[in-house]
Order: sequence, then structure tokens, then C-alpha cells
Amino acid sequence: MESFVTAIEGTAINHWVMGSAWAWPIMEILHFIGLSLLLGSLLVIDLRMAGFFRQINIVATHKMLPWVFLGFGINMTTGILFVFGDPARYTANIGFRFKMLLVVIAGLNALWFWWKINPVMKTWEPHADTPMLAKVIAWVSLGSWFGVLLLGRLIPYIGTG
Amino acid sequence: MFESLENSAVALWVGESLYGYPFMLSLHAVGLAIVVGIFVMRDFRLLGLFPGISYESVDSLKKLAWTGFSINAVSGCFLFTSQATMFASSTPFLLKISMIFLAAICAAIIQNRMRDEASAWDSAGTGAVGSVKAIAVLSLILWTGAIIAGRLTAYL
Repeated sequence: MESFVTAIEGTAINHWVMGSAWAWPIMEILHFIGLSLLLGSLLVIDLRMAGFFRQINIVATHKMLPWVFLGFGINMTTGILFVFGDPARYTANIGFRFKMLLVVIAGLNALWFWWKINPVMKTWEPHADTPMLAKVIAWVSLGSWFGVLLLGRLIPYIGTG
Repeated sequence: MFESLENSAVALWVGESLYGYPFMLSLHAVGLAIVVGIFVMRDFRLLGLFPGISYESVDSLKKLAWTGFSINAVSGCFLFTSQATMFASSTPFLLKISMIFLAAICAAIIQNRMRDEASAWDSAGTGAVGSVKAIAVLSLILWTGAIIAGRLTAYL
């Protein structure tokens, strides 16, 4: 980890992030906009997949997926820049480590969705209840992403353990 | 007035206890994701995205969005007490509150219009009328502005 930190400190990106007074707040604003897009679209998709809001056509919630990816893309990009800006702080932070673990779990859960749910979802009754597996995947998704949100917000308050 | 608020028992709990501030901040992040996330998706739908999701069904999400709004109104009041004098004189904070107030009015107008007209937009297949689309654009601008001003409150 220490060699990772020294490798990053001194890079051009590190200097740009730390050297400009506006870089950090602008990245934070983008990170908040990204989280709103990611969690907003996921709330609709996952709550419907968990069996709520059956008025909403479950097959059509698929059209919201690009906003999940856009939100995630914005936050991964700004997130990598945060780590480049202050590597020592993030790598040592327990909250950040658990946050990244939850991002990985959320990613694996998304693959599970892609493998098991996505191919059959088109054939589902638009306003019916959902199978148990869909409900499990939906709750794992909501649980891990809201966990990511909470751990991210608490990074300044959680130390190195 | 703000000084006495800052010295109240509640403010001291938020500002000085180990868990008060981070707890309220966590609630504020969860509420933000819910209220902005859902209202933004509603506005996108009003602007013609996600065809296949009926306008009537989008209207059913409003309770969830207002739940997020309420979480943030309450946690926001707690956070305010801890540094009341600073917030009350902070331009970005006052801008943020004004934009949220206006965005809430937009949401109220939109849901009144949707209650009366959503089923007609669905059956006609024409989509939301221009005036509602305009309010949706305004709502998107206001929520984005509230996030920007909210973040800048910590810097300016």
C-alpha cells in the first residue's frame, strides 16, 4: 500500500487535483450528481423488482439502466481522482475499504442480475409480482448501494481503525 | 437568535457528541439520494424518456420522494442548529434553501397536474404537455443547483 501511495504522489493528476482550489469541490459536486442518478434509477428498478410499485411496467424499467451506468461512470471517474488527489488518506481509511468491498459486491450482484434476470425479464407480466430470486437480487442491490452511500459520507469521520 | 439556538442542548448534541453530526449527515445523504433521485427520474419521464413507463405509475412514486424530502428537512434542521450563525449568513446555504423551496413548489404543481392529466397523456400517447415539461426542466435545474450550492456551503 505504501508503494502505491508514493507512486501516486508526484503524478500529474495528483498535482492537478491538489493544486487547484476548485478541482476538489467540483469533483464533489459531480460525485453527488452521479450518486443521485445512480440511486434514483436503481430505486425505481430495484423496488419494482422487489415487488413494490406494481403499477410500474417492470419490463420498461429496463430503459432506466443507462442512467445507472452514467451515474456509476461519473462516480468511478471522480472517485479515482479523489484517490489520486489524496492516496494516503483513502488507502488507510477503514470506511473507504469497506465502501470498495461493497462496490465489488454490488458489481457481482449486477452480474448475477445480468445472468439470471435480464434474459427472462422481457417475458414477465408487466404488472405482476416478481420471483424470489429477483427480490433477493433487488434487496442485495439496494442494501449494498445504500451501504456505499453511507460509508462514503462517513469517510471523514471513520479513521484508520 | 441563532446564537442561542447554537447553544441549545440539541445543537450541542449534534455538534459536539461523537455520533450526532455524522448520524445526521448520513441521514441527509440517504434523503438526498431518495428525493433528488426520484424527482429527477420523474422529470426525465415527463420530458419523454423511458417510454413504456406510464405517467400514472410515475405519479405513484411521489410518496417515496416526499419521504426523502422529509428525512432531509428533519436532519437538515438538526445540522443547521450546530452552526446556526454560520449557515444563516452563508450565501450558498441561503441559495440552496431557496432552490429547494422552489423545487418543492415545482413538485407540488407537477403532481397536481399529473393527478388530473396523467391518464389522458397515457391514453393519448402524446406525452406531457409543454407547460408541465417546462416545470420539469426548471425542477431539474433547481435540484442540480441545490446540490451545487449545498456542496459549496462547506467551502465558501
